[in-house]
Amino acid sequence: MNLFEKIFNHQIISRLEDSGTFMVTSLERAWLKTMLQHPVAADAFTADTLDKLRSALGPDSVMDTSVHLIEKARATEKQVYHPLLRPLRRHIMHKSGVRLTCEVKGGRVLSDQSGFPYKLEYSMVKREWYLLWYHTRHHSFMSTRLKKIRSVEIEPIELAAVETILKTIEDILDKRKTEIVIEIVREYNAELSRILYAFSSFEKNVAYDTSRDTYHVSVSLLGNDREYLLSKIRFLGKRVRVIEGDYLKRRMLEASTKALERYGVDTGR
Amino acid sequence: MAKESFDKEIQFLRMLVLTSGAFSRQQFAERLGISVHTFDKTIRRLKEVVSSLHQQLLKEQSRELSETLHYRYYESNDPLLLFLYRAKSVKESEGQRISLLIAAMNSQALTVTELMDMCCGKLSSELPIPDEKTIRSDLKYLEETGVIKKEPGPRPYRYRIQDDLIRCLSDDERLDLYDFVDVMANTQIPSVQGYLLRDGIKKQLLRNQLDQQAVEPFLYKYHYYSRILDEAHLFKLLHAIRNRRSVRFLYFSPKSEKSYSSQNTNPLFERDPAGKVHKTLPLKIVYDHQYGRWYLLSHGREGIRKYRMEGITQMVEEDKSVDEATYEAMATALTAHIRHSWLIDTGKPVTVRARFYNPEGSESNFVKERVILQGQWGHIVQEDVHSFLYEITVNGTTEIKPWLRSFGSSCEVLEPVQLRQEMIAEWKELQSYYESV
Repeated sequence: MNLFEKIFNHQIISRLEDSGTFMVTSLERAWLKTMLQHPVAADAFTADTLDKLRSALGPDSVMDTSVHLIEKARATEKQVYHPLLRPLRRHIMHKSGVRLTCEVKGGRVLSDQSGFPYKLEYSMVKREWYLLWYHTRHHSFMSTRLKKIRSVEIEPIELAAVETILKTIEDILDKRKTEIVIEIVREYNAELSRILYAFSSFEKNVAYDTSRDTYHVSVSLLGNDREYLLSKIRFLGKRVRVIEGDYLKRRMLEASTKALERYGVDTGR
Repeated sequence: MAKESFDKEIQFLRMLVLTSGAFSRQQFAERLGISVHTFDKTIRRLKEVVSSLHQQLLKEQSRELSETLHYRYYESNDPLLLFLYRAKSVKESEGQRISLLIAAMNSQALTVTELMDMCCGKLSSELPIPDEKTIRSDLKYLEETGVIKKEPGPRPYRYRIQDDLIRCLSDDERLDLYDFVDVMANTQIPSVQGYLLRDGIKKQLLRNQLDQQAVEPFLYKYHYYSRILDEAHLFKLLHAIRNRRSVRFLYFSPKSEKSYSSQNTNPLFERDPAGKVHKTLPLKIVYDHQYGRWYLLSHGREGIRKYRMEGITQMVEEDKSVDEATYEAMATALTAHIRHSWLIDTGKPVTVRARFYNPEGSESNFVKERVILQGQWGHIVQEDVHSFLYEITVNGTTEIKPWLRSFGSSCEVLEPVQLRQEMIAEWKELQSYYESV
């Protein structure tokens, strides 16, 4: 059985959807059985559920992928699940308000902060979970590491307020968005594929100027994610140049000047 | 029926995702090495799959495919490219029949005769009535794929859907299962089977009146969502590895690759196939987390060979297999060679020493955190208040260099001297890029 089975055909799938049928193949079960061997499974389910799943998957096989597959440049997996994921995802689902007690910079503890949980975000870079939430008193959009949250309690919130908050979050995210334009230095066009792969995790558009044989990548992101984009730009080195986005240009100049100072090179600045 | 290949669709989607909106129809087709006519046909076919899966898109048919597949972080975390794996073509009559059969076995266990009667009553009138042989072969297929199972008991046998996985769980437990599948499919590899399963469970949850927002509480920041395109090859290659068999394929080296060749040559000339046929014995697959790319490492006539998965097309597994001892010897040798590869470099091992500087005026040491997180098997060998010394033995310096450079002025390469010199030269050039700022 391979991944392009007729059983996965789009028409069959949408017909099953219409009839309300849940269909699962041995491929998917083998994947699940393999993933359940990961230690985090214990955080994701109650012991009882885990038993049920394991017994339902009893006759299925496990994938042998890991024997032949090597992962390189992988960050240490410090957190895949967090005990707060289960309760928080339910608060998000029920659109309930929360009262959070969390640790902030400097080890200070903020108690009983009223807020509305928006989404749970996993950073593939930091390998950690964050709660994105709206601080009702301060009217601000927050991102807090789950490991800094000491307690979560439910707090009633009006449905009408929820609608307003969701709209406000949308507006805040919109306002925080900025666009950076990066040029692929023409001599490196042969490496286009690699360079575009490096940007493929961003929301972006690519423009190609036929007459100059030059590619421009416009990356759209939130202001506070610029640091990550900067690390990508430094990662790619001479291959790319920021052409729109003054903050990033300044930071690149600063990084190169400071780096040269570290190396004891007189930069004349 | 000729074996259906999805190479064109994969190449097409990859290019669409990577170059989002950069090329005109003509340019796009040229770069893929196909005619505009084939290009249009491919688009039509993919559009058909996408729109049958996402009903809401039907209302906005005019939306371009590239627009539909545009990655929007906060909008939805549905895997955009999963529909590729729904593209296998099935005859209308077969599709209708199979979905009817599965749906019928959903609520009860049925015999072949009962299923035949049901089909006769429910299939569209313009379609031919299936005979018993057809139904039996459908059931065999569904049993093989694990969708249904035969109930224990005397003849005539009864068949029912195999959905214990969901059936044994309460609504609340299903939510946990959905979350687990979502998290694992997004953070671990391989993912395609997980995404397929996620899709199935999600539809169940939505049926229970949960809205979209409620079903998608998770976001994954800076995640290489297009990596699932290459999983199409992954499983074929794993199959060949398991069977110790060589594969043959037409390879487009990404550096001179047709799909990305520059525009300044004669377009007519460009349409020449630039790929080359390779025959090689697959040994290991490497996934590179830095770029979200896949590699095949294999044994060819010249020894260890490395291929980028994205350049592989028209892959066929050979019939003959090598003996276990030979295979073992090759695989062991390869493993030893890449033990010190930052990615896949099999060059000479060198020791890289770099000083990292702790951030000033910040209470969290994000530099050190990142080095520990991403520094693979390297070690921090010395530390003081302002900085720390990191040491690693790697095959060649090419692959680790971008990572070291990504730290900007927080990293100073000490050894080897040549790498230090290269870094200085690059920073000088980078500085010149921004001097006018």
